[in-house]
Amino acid sequence: MDYGFSKEQEMLKKAARQFAETKVAPRVLEIDDKGDFPFDLVRQMGQMGLIGLVNSKQYGGSGMGHLSRMVVIEEMARVYPSLGFFFQAGNLLMYALENFGTEEQKKRYIPDLCKGAKVSSFAVTEQSGGSDPSAMMTTASRNGAGYVVNGRKSYITNADVADVLGFVAKSEGGFSALFVEKGTPGYEVTRREPRPGFRSIPVNELSFTDCHVSQANLIGQEGRGMAAALPTISAIGRTGAAGVALGATQGAYEGALKFCKERVLYGKPISDLQALQFMLVDMNTDIEAARWISYRPAVLMDQGKSVKDLGVDIARAKYLAVDVALRNCLKAQQAMGAYGQSPEYRVEMYLRDMLELLTAGGTQEIMKVVIGRAITN
Amino acid sequence: MDTVVCIKQVPHPDHFSQITLDPVTKAIRREGVPLVMNPVDRHAIEAALQLRDKFPGKVTVLTMGPPQSREALEEALAMGADEGVLLCDRAFAGADAYATALTIAAAIRKFCPFSLILCGCETADSGTRMVGPMLAEFLDVPYATNVRAMKVMDKGICLVEADMEGGCMKVELGLPALITVNRAVNEPRIPDVMGIIGVADKLLSTYGANDLGLPAEKLGLTGSPTRVAGVWEFKKDRRSEVLKGNPKNASSDAVARLREWGGL
Amino acid sequence: MGSNGHHGETWIYAEQRRGKLARVSLELLSKGAELSGKSGSGLVCVLVGSSVEHLAPELVSHGAGKVYVIDDPRLEHYQNQAYAAVIADLVREHQPEIFLLGATAIGEDLAPCIAAKVGTGLTAHCIDLRMEGCNGASMLHQTVPGWGGGKRVDIVCPELRPQMATVKPGVFVVPQAKQDRRGQIVRVSPRLDNRMFRARTVEITEEAESDLPIEEAEVVVAAGWGVNALGSMDLVRELAEVLEGAVAGTRPLLDKGWITSDCMIGQSGKVIGPNLLVSLGASGAMHFSTGFERAKFVLAVDQNPLAPIFQSADVGIVGDLREVLPPLILELRKLRPA
Repeated sequence: MDYGFSKEQEMLKKAARQFAETKVAPRVLEIDDKGDFPFDLVRQMGQMGLIGLVNSKQYGGSGMGHLSRMVVIEEMARVYPSLGFFFQAGNLLMYALENFGTEEQKKRYIPDLCKGAKVSSFAVTEQSGGSDPSAMMTTASRNGAGYVVNGRKSYITNADVADVLGFVAKSEGGFSALFVEKGTPGYEVTRREPRPGFRSIPVNELSFTDCHVSQANLIGQEGRGMAAALPTISAIGRTGAAGVALGATQGAYEGALKFCKERVLYGKPISDLQALQFMLVDMNTDIEAARWISYRPAVLMDQGKSVKDLGVDIARAKYLAVDVALRNCLKAQQAMGAYGQSPEYRVEMYLRDMLELLTAGGTQEIMKVVIGRAITN
Repeated sequence: MDTVVCIKQVPHPDHFSQITLDPVTKAIRREGVPLVMNPVDRHAIEAALQLRDKFPGKVTVLTMGPPQSREALEEALAMGADEGVLLCDRAFAGADAYATALTIAAAIRKFCPFSLILCGCETADSGTRMVGPMLAEFLDVPYATNVRAMKVMDKGICLVEADMEGGCMKVELGLPALITVNRAVNEPRIPDVMGIIGVADKLLSTYGANDLGLPAEKLGLTGSPTRVAGVWEFKKDRRSEVLKGNPKNASSDAVARLREWGGL
Repeated sequence: MGSNGHHGETWIYAEQRRGKLARVSLELLSKGAELSGKSGSGLVCVLVGSSVEHLAPELVSHGAGKVYVIDDPRLEHYQNQAYAAVIADLVREHQPEIFLLGATAIGEDLAPCIAAKVGTGLTAHCIDLRMEGCNGASMLHQTVPGWGGGKRVDIVCPELRPQMATVKPGVFVVPQAKQDRRGQIVRVSPRLDNRMFRARTVEITEEAESDLPIEEAEVVVAAGWGVNALGSMDLVRELAEVLEGAVAGTRPLLDKGWITSDCMIGQSGKVIGPNLLVSLGASGAMHFSTGFERAKFVLAVDQNPLAPIFQSADVGIVGDLREVLPPLILELRKLRPA
């Protein structure tokens, strides 16, 4: 299918695939088994310019845009979904600073994040509910020329390995978006959540205990934190989840297809059996639909359309892509029989990883709330 | 130190079985077969790029082929080559290694001053290993083929190690020279985003027969000393007896067949 | 008499290294004898080096009617353009009809240079050569594998002479040596100048090769990617040991480091013609199977009944290598004399 990629996007896709197949694929089992964050791969991707695709050249990015970013996430996730997931979380603060930060903040953090020399995270969710951000209890109270932050955040991707953490807290005027550097007194990553999927990407609980944060760490205006956080989650977090889903489902589908063409039962390859062939057809068709629904908002953002106007489209993309991915990864497992559970074939890893996408960037149900509100108004 | 890297776009080696023969016209059909840069050519490009780090100069990448070959040049530019040259003309079609080398030599003589020419040691499709040495002869420069390690010294000398059966040959070449490299020589870089974006700003020139100043009878099929007399599908004739049964029975049957054959 | 007043001779480059003739040069003598026999003209060898004249009688006993010996201290090591220049001089002087070289590292480095100097056509890594009449004159038809081996291409050099071709070792057989054969040994003084040594071979070093060169082994056990499931090459080596054969493999195993490059079979590896070839866990893609086409008997084991390898095999076993190899090795041990 011709997606209308530019020549640069075609070359980017090829280069990303080459990287994924030669540098990542041989180590997937080892990395996923150990569960350690793949710092070296992140650095290599940074050096290749793959992390700063949505950031401007001025700050070390390339400005290639959202569609390019999605293509790269897809290529990484196709081989190792966890690596795709790194982008879903790791690009959040980069986008927030680029679009809402001061010149000084951008110069100070974006270049290193683009290079993969530093890693970032973005914390909104709390025990009070990620789906209900207005119930958040973390506070940032004015203290002289800065803030004192108190509270806890949960299910925050990358927090443990992040050199800098963006977050939202209740403050004067509503909510404020701020960031804090690792090692700041009073900021602590307290726990790593045991997860079945994305095993090498940490998801953490963290706490702020009388943590002093400077005024210079405020992103955008005080009290206008959601104006920065919500578009960020939409443009980066939800699209990222869609991208990971697309890549993973492609990988699972290719694995199942290859298996079915080689596996012989009753004297023929099982891809000849109609039940399995139709299963593969459904997977194939679903992936195409998910791709188009996910690519379009990215293309529109690249053309300058405002994220706010694309909120519903992006929610729909995340919802459908993740739904397709879960369905397909399950189908792939079934098509492969007992081999579907063998770590060597990796399909079971894809399914485990897709479970995480049920909530990443917002739950599937929240996506439906966003869409439902829009259609019933 | 200016270098020229000669590359070729070939059908993707994994898809060779999709190439068919038209039973009537005997023409090779390769529609739908994806094309890629000849794999070992990447190593030649990488060698040129690494040389440029040590001895600043221009890396020109050149190919002779149909218009689509441009993609291979763009990939080389994305890796970091400075300029591309596409030799494209119907008159070049059907050239064998000799005519190809003659044509490329004419282009290099006219448009690409060089200290070193780098090529991949063989192409994945024809694998003749001929164009490199012939090109060196037509340009009257020394050459070494199948190089697995190379080092350019300051005094315009290049030291290479060429792979041979059971060993290697150490050769010293005075520049200008031509070297063909094999996969062992380096690990080619993957194009990065900056390189990809930079392609649009780089010069990619196309030249045809008229630009080279070669007489028409030296080009393409007409200029080729060799030509194809016939092509056919190749079928093997083996017994292809597949033994059935559990591994133990199949094994003893297999050994029985070997005993019957009597060749052991 | 050959075409266009050429003397019709068939020439063969007698490659030598360290005072030993390359086996492929002897192999070419058998085909050369056939080709020159048809034209009724001489079979000639060209031998280049330093103090190599003692190798000439071996060429004669294997069928060469004449041997040109180009002997000079400066030519002790193979020097590509110098060798090509002196050989091209000789070719221009005597105008052979056909000139064959082995498709070895040296042969493939040398032949194109000679062809370019002389101004004639060259065909690389031929797997067959035959004379065929074409438009009244007899021409050398040079057959090469095409597109990974699924096709055969016949190439001719209709007008220019000599018709040059390189042939991979193992394609033809070494002819019987007959000590009573007589032949002319002609010493040639080479015309050398410094420009011929702008690429100067400084040293040729030997590197450890694995035991028996696979192209000389009577039995070869070739491992493909399926062997990966065994976890190591141990069972493969055990099978080879029982059969007293050499171990070879495909490119994926070379990339994995389980075999060395001199053991790789296939289009970009070696072409071999052993008595028996056992293929283990190789699916049989064309570029691999062309490497052992000339094997007298092929036994293949693979887990996929649809693998193309079975079309390239005489006898095949479908099964998991882990389950097939132990009983197979056991049965073969019974064959061996105690």
